[in-house]
Amino acid sequence: MLVVGEIRDGRLVPSSLEAVAAARACAGPADAPEGLLVGPAARTESGAFAAAGLGTVHCDADEALARPTPWAWSRAIVAAATAAGAETIVLAGTAAGRDVVGRVAAVWEAAGVTGVTAIARGPTGRLRLTRPVFGGRATEELEVAAPRAVLAVRPHAFAPPPAGTTAATASDLSAPRPEKDGRITGFERVAGGAGPELGDAAIVVSGGRGVRAAENFSLIEDLARAFGAAVGASRAVTDAGWRPVSFQVGQTGKSVTPQLYLAVGISGAIQHLVGMVGSRVIVAINSDAQAPIFRVADYGVVGDLFQIVPALTREVRKARGLG
Amino acid sequence: MEIVVCVKPAPDSETRLRANPAGTALDSEGVKWALTGYDESAMEQALLLKEAHPGSRVRVVSFGPAPRSEEVLRSALALGADAATWIEQPAELAPDPLLAARAVAAHLRDAPWDLVLTGKQAGDDEAGLFGPALGALVDAPSFGGVSAITHDPAARSFAFRRSVEGGSETVTAPVRSVLGLQQAANDPRTAKLPNILKSRRTPIEKVPWALTQAALGPHGRPATERVAFRLPAPRSGAKMIEYRTPDEAAEKLVRLLQGEAKVFP
Ligand SMILES: Cc1cc2nc3c(=O)[nH]c(=O)nc-3n(C[C@H](O)[C@H](O)[C@H](O)COP(=O)(O)OP(=O)(O)OC[C@H]3O[C@@H](n4cnc5c(N)ncnc54)[C@H](O)[C@@H]3O)c2cc1C
Ligand SMILES: Nc1ncnc2c1ncn2[C@@H]1O[C@H](COP(=O)(O)O)[C@@H](O)[C@H]1O
Repeated sequence: MLVVGEIRDGRLVPSSLEAVAAARACAGPADAPEGLLVGPAARTESGAFAAAGLGTVHCDADEALARPTPWAWSRAIVAAATAAGAETIVLAGTAAGRDVVGRVAAVWEAAGVTGVTAIARGPTGRLRLTRPVFGGRATEELEVAAPRAVLAVRPHAFAPPPAGTTAATASDLSAPRPEKDGRITGFERVAGGAGPELGDAAIVVSGGRGVRAAENFSLIEDLARAFGAAVGASRAVTDAGWRPVSFQVGQTGKSVTPQLYLAVGISGAIQHLVGMVGSRVIVAINSDAQAPIFRVADYGVVGDLFQIVPALTREVRKARGLG
Repeated sequence: MEIVVCVKPAPDSETRLRANPAGTALDSEGVKWALTGYDESAMEQALLLKEAHPGSRVRVVSFGPAPRSEEVLRSALALGADAATWIEQPAELAPDPLLAARAVAAHLRDAPWDLVLTGKQAGDDEAGLFGPALGALVDAPSFGGVSAITHDPAARSFAFRRSVEGGSETVTAPVRSVLGLQQAANDPRTAKLPNILKSRRTPIEKVPWALTQAALGPHGRPATERVAFRLPAPRSGAKMIEYRTPDEAAEKLVRLLQGEAKVFP
């Protein structure tokens, strides 16, 4: 088994540790998964990665892999899988991680499954994977019918393992670079993107038209900051230009399935609901007791968001020891 | 420039989902098969590139069973595609993105193309496997989460953005790349009447399954088997928080999130 870690801005991405936990959930007790890291920080990050419970960590430290293209990364992954004698490859299902699974599955002649939230064995011993589909409106279970599998696990679905004391054995690896590949030439951070990424966040706080004006949106952002959450918005907000479209949740925006979704001043139109009903727990804050959002919510507060939200922000900060 | 757009027949986004009696798959009874959001974005991007580079041609390709593929190919023609190819999938084979990529790759081997556009992921299975797999199979670069593609004919390359955690990358890729489109920021165009009328007369090229099967050999089967399809238990309605002051509402809510819902330490 091989676990592929991801390094962003020189640091191991936390969901890489969740991928180790997922790998250990399907590995036999005698089967110590190996790891792969690429880019110039591979060796320095290999210790933290191995401590989650890996044997050898293969490192391809090529400068060109600091932000690997899917093609170049897939070459390194297949080389490491071969070196490790792996039959299963597990990755964190980040945007970049998901974008490489199909390539590896095609050339390594394996099954590919993304968005995995649970791993088990079927009655005949085949890997059995649970994943949300239709924007979280349904769940499917797939069994792997091929000898090999490449899996991307959904962020937050697996708890990272407690850091162990595995002594890392790093091993150098060098895969040939593709010749006709594209080039990643730059990166631009999104404004307001300081918190976790909307699609990956464990908690999302979204604001709607009820917020009334662009400048009031800071109320939503303060609450999100208190929770350590990502900020989302309804289309009424992005259409009005109060926030960029990258914040939009729904049919024509992002689909999110966090542990907790707070809808503030959002009525609950079907086009918004399809992007968030897969969330585990939904809280609605709305002044209209008849708003359809309350029909999908688990907890509801009928009231004026301008009063409720600041009180909630204070209470959450207190509960998290932020004063 | 020859642009190929891959479109997948998927249940219309407003479909009421139901499981089949065995609980192993979506009940397809009464489902309306349509182009879903990401594929509409891919179509829109193809048409924008065609408008910016006169003389370009947009061809839509779909691997799927009859009559679902024909329905989505007709919708794409109505939006302004110039030609359509239907790669036949036997009705008894379950939809599978890797198998679809192998089928389309086999077809592209003998067809001219400069750019393949797909959805970043499909609106139903949300796998995001097809584009990357296709790129690997035709020995081409692939990128997903793509938006705002421009073409430089002199450099024979494309420039675009790719959305990743925390922001977006700027990327250049050569002619003959496979790009998976992010959902469009603006609503894609809708079909105009003359195009709708014209699309009804455009012949759809058919690639019979026997041809694809011969090309795929042992890979002509899905590598996964869908064994369960479940809908979440309907939510029983919100627990409404009774309160006299906003502070009391906040306190009660936080206590419920910590104790009962356990979503918050
Ligand atoms: C093709 C199509 C695609 C679409 N895609 C999307 C999409 O992706 N995402 C999306 O969100 N929408 C989408 N929409 C739009 C959708 O139909 C709704 O118009 C939109 O979601 C409404 O946003 P809202 O809930 O913020 O606004 P409204 O529906 O206006 O609701 C505002 C809510 O705020 C409450 N409120 C007002 N003042 C206060 C206060 N002081 N305190 C508390 N509550 C208050 C009101 O009671 C009301 O319920 C789409 C529509 C179409 C036709
Ligand atoms: N059967 C198919 N025929 C043509 N294109 C497909 C097919 N399946 C998937 N695609 C394309 O690949 C994208 C991603 O699909 P998926 O890998 O299923 O998430 C879709 O948005 C389509 O553009």
